[in-house]
Amino acid sequence: MNADSRKGELADLKAQLRQLAGSRQPGVEDIKRELYKKVISYMTIGIDVSSLFSEMVMCSATSDLVLKKMCYLYVGNYARGHPDLALLTINFLQKDCHDDDPMIRGLALRSLCSLRVKNLVEYLIGPLRSGLKDANGYVRTVAAMGVLKLYHIAPSQCTDNEFPAMLRALLLNDPDAQVVANCLCALQEIYTAEVNVSPETAARDREHLLSKPVIYSLLNRIKDFTEWAQCLVLDMVSKYVPSDSDESFDMMNILEDRLQHTNSAVVLAAIKVFLHLTISMADIHQQVYERIKAPLLTLVNSGSAEQTYAVLSHLHLLVLRAPVLFSNDYKHFYCRYSDPTYVKKLKLEMLTAVANETNTYEIVTELSEYAANVDVAIARESIRAVGKIALQQYDVNAIVDRLLQFLEMEKDYVTAETLVLVKDLLRKYPQWSHDCIAVVGSVSSKTVTEPKAKSALVWMLGEYAYDMPDAPYILEGFIENWIEEDSAQVRLELLTAVTKIFFKRPPESIKMLGAALSAGLADAHQDVHDRALLYYRLLQQGVEVAERVVNPAKQAVSVFADTQSSEIKDRIFDEFNSLSVVYQQPSYMFLDKEVRGPIELTEDSGILPLGPTIADDVLPSQLVDATDNDLLLSASDKEESVAAVSNGSHYSGPDLAGFESSSAPPRSTSSPSSTSQVTSTSAAAATSLLDFEDLLGLNTYEVSTPALFSLKLKTKPSLVAQAFQRKWGQLAVALTLVRFVY
Amino acid sequence: MQVHCRESSVQSSRVSPSPLAHHSLHFGAGAGAGASPICAPAAMISQFFVLSLRGDNIVFRDYRGDVSKSSAEIFFRKVKFWKGEEGEEAPPVFNVDGVNYLHVKHSGLLFVATTRVNPSPALVLELLQRIARVTKDYLGVLNEDSLRKNFVLVYELLDEMIDFGYPQTTSTEGLKSFVFNEPVVVDAARIPSLGPAAMFVQGSKRVPGTAVTKSVVANDPSGKKREEVFVDIIEKISVTFNASGYVLTSEIDGTIQMKSYLTGSPEIKVGLNEDLTVGVRSSAPRDFVPDYSSGNSVGLVVLDDCNFHESVRLDDFETERALTLVPPDGEFPIMNYRMTQEFKPPFKVYPVIEEKGPFKAEVRLKVRADFASNITANMVILRVPMPKTTTRVSFALEEGAVGQTTDFKESTKVVEWCCRKIVGGSDHVLTAKLTLSQERNVNIKKEAGPISMTFTIPMYNASKLQVKYLQIVKKTKSYNPHRWVRYVTQANSYVIRT
Repeated sequence: MNADSRKGELADLKAQLRQLAGSRQPGVEDIKRELYKKVISYMTIGIDVSSLFSEMVMCSATSDLVLKKMCYLYVGNYARGHPDLALLTINFLQKDCHDDDPMIRGLALRSLCSLRVKNLVEYLIGPLRSGLKDANGYVRTVAAMGVLKLYHIAPSQCTDNEFPAMLRALLLNDPDAQVVANCLCALQEIYTAEVNVSPETAARDREHLLSKPVIYSLLNRIKDFTEWAQCLVLDMVSKYVPSDSDESFDMMNILEDRLQHTNSAVVLAAIKVFLHLTISMADIHQQVYERIKAPLLTLVNSGSAEQTYAVLSHLHLLVLRAPVLFSNDYKHFYCRYSDPTYVKKLKLEMLTAVANETNTYEIVTELSEYAANVDVAIARESIRAVGKIALQQYDVNAIVDRLLQFLEMEKDYVTAETLVLVKDLLRKYPQWSHDCIAVVGSVSSKTVTEPKAKSALVWMLGEYAYDMPDAPYILEGFIENWIEEDSAQVRLELLTAVTKIFFKRPPESIKMLGAALSAGLADAHQDVHDRALLYYRLLQQGVEVAERVVNPAKQAVSVFADTQSSEIKDRIFDEFNSLSVVYQQPSYMFLDKEVRGPIELTEDSGILPLGPTIADDVLPSQLVDATDNDLLLSASDKEESVAAVSNGSHYSGPDLAGFESSSAPPRSTSSPSSTSQVTSTSAAAATSLLDFEDLLGLNTYEVSTPALFSLKLKTKPSLVAQAFQRKWGQLAVALTLVRFVY
Repeated sequence: MQVHCRESSVQSSRVSPSPLAHHSLHFGAGAGAGASPICAPAAMISQFFVLSLRGDNIVFRDYRGDVSKSSAEIFFRKVKFWKGEEGEEAPPVFNVDGVNYLHVKHSGLLFVATTRVNPSPALVLELLQRIARVTKDYLGVLNEDSLRKNFVLVYELLDEMIDFGYPQTTSTEGLKSFVFNEPVVVDAARIPSLGPAAMFVQGSKRVPGTAVTKSVVANDPSGKKREEVFVDIIEKISVTFNASGYVLTSEIDGTIQMKSYLTGSPEIKVGLNEDLTVGVRSSAPRDFVPDYSSGNSVGLVVLDDCNFHESVRLDDFETERALTLVPPDGEFPIMNYRMTQEFKPPFKVYPVIEEKGPFKAEVRLKVRADFASNITANMVILRVPMPKTTTRVSFALEEGAVGQTTDFKESTKVVEWCCRKIVGGSDHVLTAKLTLSQERNVNIKKEAGPISMTFTIPMYNASKLQVKYLQIVKKTKSYNPHRWVRYVTQANSYVIRT
């Protein structure tokens, strides 16, 4: 469609809409629908239909929901760019906010909040306020998100009108879980942004978000939430620091069945909680690894390739952190024919990481199969993987056999990768030179074209000139083709190799050295020229001096520099279940500065006190009397929760040592001591709770849930604490305790 | 702190000393020096769009307004010309100029989300997948055409599924009350007239997952809603044989999938093999012999691990191996499982590769279908890479071969042998005579292969996991909806090394 005919069409649409605006004929709604659809379809494909704004608004006085919704969509799309026209919509949107149908109220409120026009904010406050108090959950859900939208348009008006405080009240009390979830999103975002406005208040507010009552109230109803909201809650829980290990175990108990979810996002979010809760308990942390292995492997293979990638990236991170724990699972990391390249690459890295004395043979055999693969990228990666394993391992013969096999394949890229591999091997294990050089000698230098491979070959020729009788002559060939050599890297390497050969076998190479140096001095590349000049001057000083500089006695490389510092790796681990894991980079490396922000709630919460009025030492106890008022517990749950009360603090640190054995001390569910604890602490809990309400600004709201300080513990036999312990105790634990780098 | 970290970039080859207690990095309150930082919790997307494989924008929704409108173009260019060596696909997640692009491919369409924050990739990808599935539930068929014809309905769905970038409700059922547009039903091409169960029927070549192409909101032409529920056991098998024909690795990845068209939310009980074992590997009691007849299955079914859908209650799982649930509308997996216990591979392949004088070689493939003769596998395809010196291939099929085709792809040097149907217990042979451009080929065996195979076998499952019963718990006796339990096994990665 060219511009002219498009204009014509728009004018046509405009005229038709105008005509229909006041019409009350039967069937007019259907015609309107068709016209609206046309407008929306233009909008979708990127044609600017904002010129129809006033006509669209005029037509929107309708009771037809389909039309209304299309109109909302249109208005939402163009209001921002046309604030003057947006004013036209306020009237009917505000009217719809008082409709009898809660759905219309919700839709209208959402559209109203989505206008993103600053000077219309005043019209927003009223509907938003009544929306938050609406009897219907859907409207409150929309309103909670509306507060966040308002904040983005006009932060000060949002906070001045006490909207965050209202959200905080809903967060703890709303019967609709989605309302709670949206309050949580909104508050997290608002507090994070507020840090720049009033750092102290914002920090305190964020502390409250991470306080025990909030976390517990969310955990207690975790199953009411949608999968997505569960992820949100779990993400926040992972930033919470429990007061003692008992609390950690209670939380893990509650969340254990989340590991069995079909949604990988839920499972990964739960795993993050587990990993963070146990980070300072090395043995339990290791058991967490054992526990999450099976669910992760199931998820890797049950979803689409994309989901596989997301899960596998996380498994990859865990494997790199504790390879020993996965050394028996290497077969799970074998590539599958149907895997996309990006999955195969991850698997190759994992195979490299888990290789040890017991499984190297199998893994290298498997990798060698991939080297013959039709997929060139994977073939290359496989050879590199063999190389990396070789650098960790000791069995020289096996590796040399593989190398011979690779070279026999007579594929250029295989030969190239193999040469690079051999060079690295020699740098680490010079004692293998005899075996390796035999391999290299069989390579025809003409088949080597890639700069990296060529450099490797040239380096070896220079380094092992004694072992290779024809080394000078091969190099001579290279020097003769100096002009044709495109890669400066290769030319640099040639200069060094020739000079080194000259020290070892001067008569055969003096002529070649001269040719190389003069070619180097004439080279257009600065580095090549400089190196040639340096060598020339050094040689002028005397051959011995030059040798000391160019070819000093070297020590074998013991460890090749890791590409990532452990600090970076730890940062990535801290950001588990985020893009950082996929990119293998901490977020500061790929996020824009302005969006990065200081969200790091985790870190602060460990240091700062929970807040002046909340007693740190309140035990996780439950006010037994209060359970009757507890709206959040269903009738059947109430009984259970009474029984569960006694899950006081019974573990102490030393008990955990017995965790590995299946005979962990059983935890009594009716221990008298813990019951007495409950009564003794209930008063304290109640006092602190009152303070807490004040802080949250709850005085204006009716509080129906006075006590939610304790976790609604699982009472089903399969998941109670002892069973949890026993179950985990049964997990196969690697023989050695792995030291995690924290 | 951040400045410090910036200096030690990833490329740096410097080995930093491993710092102690690094998990407790401390950040000051105002660490993100600069303009108003908007940092969000784990789940937030800026835009959602659907592109055709040609890059056309079919659906586009901007939720936050913080990513440029040209993101779809940027994304598509990046995916299309993904850097790297040949055959490499763009990964599902990448970053261009500070914008993160996450995408899934579904039904020949690209479902994409953009964001500037650092969300959980699993969450966004699951969400995209879910959006695709819910859309399919509503449209019946998901493709470019159906999306274009129903984009207003799709926007209705999107508005409720995501608000301001945060996922809201994504259950097909929960969304019903928000959808007012009637779906314009697009005829799915090649849908056999046999009804929704057709793909599981012998001889059909439909792919699982697209079996039921009826919208959850569309009214039946007859005006009457058909009460039915489908339970599909879909198993993807991965087997690798070594050159001697032994199984190196094998695994079954299974899904029990349900699609319900039942009204009144009845509770359903799905009974599995009573002797099913989960999670116990080597320590399983080997000498345990079940003294009751458990159908045809011989021996225990031992799953390595499994997971369950949100709606599944496991009260009777420990005792009766039964799953109880009130199925929500739409298609969803009840349970995923993984099994590495040995099983009988459905196909055996015997390749013979020989040099036949200068410039000549012969590849002979024999396929044996190792399953009952009342079962037929569909679309059995074998792919064999040939030596790169191969210039020409001539094929000889066995006498009386029906429905078999052969092909040699010059560019990739791959021979493809396709058998539309293979009946259980039968053998098939293909002989390929190669003409080579080199006189001597030392490594002819190494250069041909490995053979990979794809197939679909309806009414067959390798794991022996079975749905023993499908009980609908409802008061009225007259209520007796149609219940379909269907099995299908597909090759995921079926590789025979040479």
